[in-house]
Amino acid sequence: MSALELVNIRKRYGNVETLKGIDLSLASGEFLVLLGSSGCGKSTLLNIIAGLAEATEGDVRIGDRSVTGVHPKNRDIAMVFQSYALYPNMSVARNIGFGLEMRHVPAAERTQAVEKTAKMLQIENLLARKPSELSGGQRQRVAIGRALVRDPQIFLFDEPLSNLDAKLRMETRTELKRLHQMLGTTIVYVTHDQIEAMTLATRIAVMRDGQIEQLATPDEIYNRPATRYVASFVGSPPMNMLDATVGDGTAHIAGSLSGVPLPSPLQDSAGRVREIIVGIRPESLALAAAGDSGLTIEAKVEVVELTGPELVVTSMIGGQRLTASLPPRSQVAVGSTQHFSFDATALHIFDKATGKRI
Amino acid sequence: MTSNWITTRAWFLMLPLLIVMIAVIGWPLVDTVRLSFTDAKLVGTEGSFVGLDNYAKILSGSNFQRTLITTFWFAVLSVAAEMVIGVLAALLLNQQFYGRSVLRALMILPWALPTVVNATLWRLIYNPEYGALNAALMQMGLIDAYRSWLGEPGTALASLIVADCWKNFPLVALIALAALQAVPRDITAASMVDGAGAWSRFRFVIMPYLAGPLMVALVLRTIEAFKVFDIIWVMTRGGPANSTRTLSILVYQEAFSFQRAGSGASLALIVTLLVTVLAVAYAALIRKSAGAS
Repeated sequence: MSALELVNIRKRYGNVETLKGIDLSLASGEFLVLLGSSGCGKSTLLNIIAGLAEATEGDVRIGDRSVTGVHPKNRDIAMVFQSYALYPNMSVARNIGFGLEMRHVPAAERTQAVEKTAKMLQIENLLARKPSELSGGQRQRVAIGRALVRDPQIFLFDEPLSNLDAKLRMETRTELKRLHQMLGTTIVYVTHDQIEAMTLATRIAVMRDGQIEQLATPDEIYNRPATRYVASFVGSPPMNMLDATVGDGTAHIAGSLSGVPLPSPLQDSAGRVREIIVGIRPESLALAAAGDSGLTIEAKVEVVELTGPELVVTSMIGGQRLTASLPPRSQVAVGSTQHFSFDATALHIFDKATGKRI
Repeated sequence: MTSNWITTRAWFLMLPLLIVMIAVIGWPLVDTVRLSFTDAKLVGTEGSFVGLDNYAKILSGSNFQRTLITTFWFAVLSVAAEMVIGVLAALLLNQQFYGRSVLRALMILPWALPTVVNATLWRLIYNPEYGALNAALMQMGLIDAYRSWLGEPGTALASLIVADCWKNFPLVALIALAALQAVPRDITAASMVDGAGAWSRFRFVIMPYLAGPLMVALVLRTIEAFKVFDIIWVMTRGGPANSTRTLSILVYQEAFSFQRAGSGASLALIVTLLVTVLAVAYAALIRKSAGAS
């Protein structure tokens, strides 16, 4: 039995279709991240799961029952909002316990549950305070506590970390991961931050224009992106996308003198398409040693940026940009021509017309 | 030296306003206080000093006590009804539905009408011979004969309260609607997920956002209702049998109808004092509720 199942979910506002048939099945204990840029429909989908918005078509099933048309309070879900959405007039303790209070849980039992949750989130010393007396990170913990205390079937997170500063975001991310490992809860998490998606998810659904572009494990999303969009959305710096044509089992990258022999399994399938995109992640590139007999590509270095752990080198092949992440002490001069070596298995080949992986 | 000059200049610039204020507020006030200790008539006699006689007579007289009670009921009932209807109207107008903006604009109309026009309209509605209210109730079979709503002591005050309420609930609704729109969408969504039904959501989540603005509306409306004059003057002139006579009407009658400027002045000062007490008490309440939120 799946914890959550979405069957052909569609949402239309007048003539605009924001969700174009979403099918999804989530096992108990999974951490699913809905990843996409703003306007892709991920928050709408989350609201439909929560019952805060109605789907125009399709069915939402939680556990073994259909919850389409069921009020949010009866769906056995809890939700953490981007704005935290704490009740400003209530103390932290009452904020956390409000859901239990509304469900007529006896006061003693409620207090016990609130204290247990607060302890788990290390906010037990804040219980008497009002939300206005808390920092952003503390508010976020209270919001998470409010969801945790109810022990629902599914937790929904709507960009919960986007209002936190970088350091706190990382800490809270780790904390969320720890909580998920500890409690084994089922989570649907919306974000536009690919790092959050990669680190937290057991599976990622990359969304684009109201559709799921790829639904897979973080490893697969990163190493075998199904489309050019997924490939360029996940990874920082983003994957290099080089226009190329195919001839005689070789990809000829526009602007490059040497061709790149395609791996043999790809030769047949890519051979049918003339126009392709050759994708290669910046970290798959290395400086070629003199006399390197492997695959190399030649490019003129334009910008060199040291980020600390890596040296990001941006160079040009004809009119196309190639970014390489190199070890920080690499010797690369701006204006020089460099040979970058790579492994044939690191290549991602996409059909230029459809954007799909070949 | 410099700061002295700035202070002097500031006073100099404010002088015209100060002169006007002393002329139209300060002097009449001082003269009213002086008058209140005399038995002056509106025309003819300047009056002679009578000490606290006017105050003693007013406070021990049954007229004043009865009028105070009438005013109290008028203020309490009309303001309470306006608050309830106003909040309900705001909750309705905060929902999504077709024609909402038209309805929002229409709702302001009663409040935008001059009080005299509103009072005249309601006098027509209550008219014992051709009034719409009688016709409507008759056709619904609720009454078997036309009644004089403003002519019977038992119904006159209630009829006035309805008219006042109709005119003034839009102000409360407007203030409440503005406050409702300031309630973050996420907060209401969170309370729905938390399991709060419509009433709990209103009581625990939305009401705290409404409390402050509503307190301001309550203060404004109570003070206005306490010194109500125009709507009553146009509709009943305080009758029948003084059943709708409020403090302001009493002041008017005393000073102008009976031309007793002296006791009229002392009555006016008593009313001013009562309203001041109300205003100060409410201001303290507002400060307290602002501090609490």
